[in-house]
Amino acid sequence: MSQFRGKTAIVGIGQTPYYKRGASPDPELKLALRAIVAACEDAGIDPRDVDGFVSYASERNDAQKLVSALGTREVRFASLAWVHGGGIPGALGIAASAIIAGQAEIVAVYRSMAESSHQRLRVAVAQNDTAAQYLVNGLESPAQILALRAQRMLEADGVPHAAMRAMAKAAYYHARNNPRAYGRNTVLDDETYDNARLIAEPYNLFDCSRENDGACAILVVSAARARNLAKTPAYILATPMGMLAGGGALEENIKPYGGAGQIGVARRLWAESGYGPKDVNVLQVYQNMTMMGIGSLIDHGFCTPETAGEILQFENLIAPHGKLPMNTSGGDLAEGFIHGMGLVAEAVRQLRGESCNQVPGAKLSLMTGGPGDTMSSTGLFGTFETL
Amino acid sequence: MEYSFEQAKIIGGIGADDEYWRSLSRGEFRLSRCAVCKGWMWPAHFRCAQCGAWELEWVEVEPRGTVFTWTRSWYAFDRVKERAEDVPYVTALVELAHAGGARVLGMFEGPDEVIRIGAPVRGEIRPPTAKSKNYPSIVWVPDPAVARAPWGGAAP
Repeated sequence: MSQFRGKTAIVGIGQTPYYKRGASPDPELKLALRAIVAACEDAGIDPRDVDGFVSYASERNDAQKLVSALGTREVRFASLAWVHGGGIPGALGIAASAIIAGQAEIVAVYRSMAESSHQRLRVAVAQNDTAAQYLVNGLESPAQILALRAQRMLEADGVPHAAMRAMAKAAYYHARNNPRAYGRNTVLDDETYDNARLIAEPYNLFDCSRENDGACAILVVSAARARNLAKTPAYILATPMGMLAGGGALEENIKPYGGAGQIGVARRLWAESGYGPKDVNVLQVYQNMTMMGIGSLIDHGFCTPETAGEILQFENLIAPHGKLPMNTSGGDLAEGFIHGMGLVAEAVRQLRGESCNQVPGAKLSLMTGGPGDTMSSTGLFGTFETL
Repeated sequence: MEYSFEQAKIIGGIGADDEYWRSLSRGEFRLSRCAVCKGWMWPAHFRCAQCGAWELEWVEVEPRGTVFTWTRSWYAFDRVKERAEDVPYVTALVELAHAGGARVLGMFEGPDEVIRIGAPVRGEIRPPTAKSKNYPSIVWVPDPAVARAPWGGAAP
């Protein structure tokens, strides 16, 4: 077990509404401020006392632009995780590490995006970062590039297509109970899924996350400070980031190819936390696309390509009583997508007992980072009893 | 002015594969390996991780292999809008066993039923067009010399 385990906790969560992409009434910077201030209100912390600011790649609202509106007394720490959605738990790890090292006391981790004031995130993320090998051959979007991975997982590894459908259905099912969810009015049954228009085979519309305008922020403080605050702390048990040899920005030449590229971080997650897949009560699985979420589950040891069909059935994936309840807010597919950050807030809500689709008595809450990214991370959070 | 792919050069990725595109524009399919230990290296990079050498050599290889994976795009995505009229189109990732298992992307042209993992294909070199971002490109087509039986299963 690590020196990191349980030393810090998430004590505040703040979110703006999910707006249709390009339809936010506020620009990105204002959304970021709203989310951070909301997280402070949730925790009972004065926004002026936030002294650390952390996000992950392609965040455009740096501390320098935020402080004069927050009244920040002093910025003591500011940093960014290298990768995009793959870096979310890793960004929490940076915040926690800074606190453990005494470099900051109250760190905001956040993502804000608004196409109404900036260019589309999907484009910004990829700007000057997509190899010619892709663009010359008609590929540019993560949906297309990760479709190559998904096709291999279907055709060669034997993951059944029905598992993708179950992942999508579970997300939309949970969104029905979530007043924040952008997809709450969509009833996704088998027929609707099967008849949806294709995007990049094997993905159809419902396999892919949506992009929204919006912002989400969380606050990380030391475990000692967390005990005196308003809300039940979500202790950070482990947030490993990285990759194994054979991974990286290798233009589809990574080994192994199937999966989410999280075998190494998952192994470290279990080792550092002292827990295993069987101990987890509820999962927030980053799903840029359904099959990549399945890749995360395989890499974390929840199933294998061979058992994916049997384990990843709709009934197993839903709260309150499924064996593997996941994406209980609707997740990236159906709640909304502010680059995956909403999953952290939901992972925390489950430990507080505040989810719209609460898993009774949830004590261990997993959030997996962006799968199929060139590097990734994963995070496990727990209540006081899990320390 | 004489064509060179540098006029259309895309910034992104590792960026050590200029010689791949230069070779294609001369009608040659070349992949990279370490000039010292001869280990294949794809995508091309700046240093051989096996022996530490800094020199690459570009070896002409037969553009022939098997489909490792593929996708059919049904939407004209923003940065590849030049191919809008071709939607749906198929892109294939092809594994070349004789080049250290390098996997090389290319468009696929052939009947729908042919595109399966393991299908044998050969590459045809095509001149730069707007659709290929003014880069020369390799297009994978079914390789009838290899097999007439249904594709799929193990690579031949």
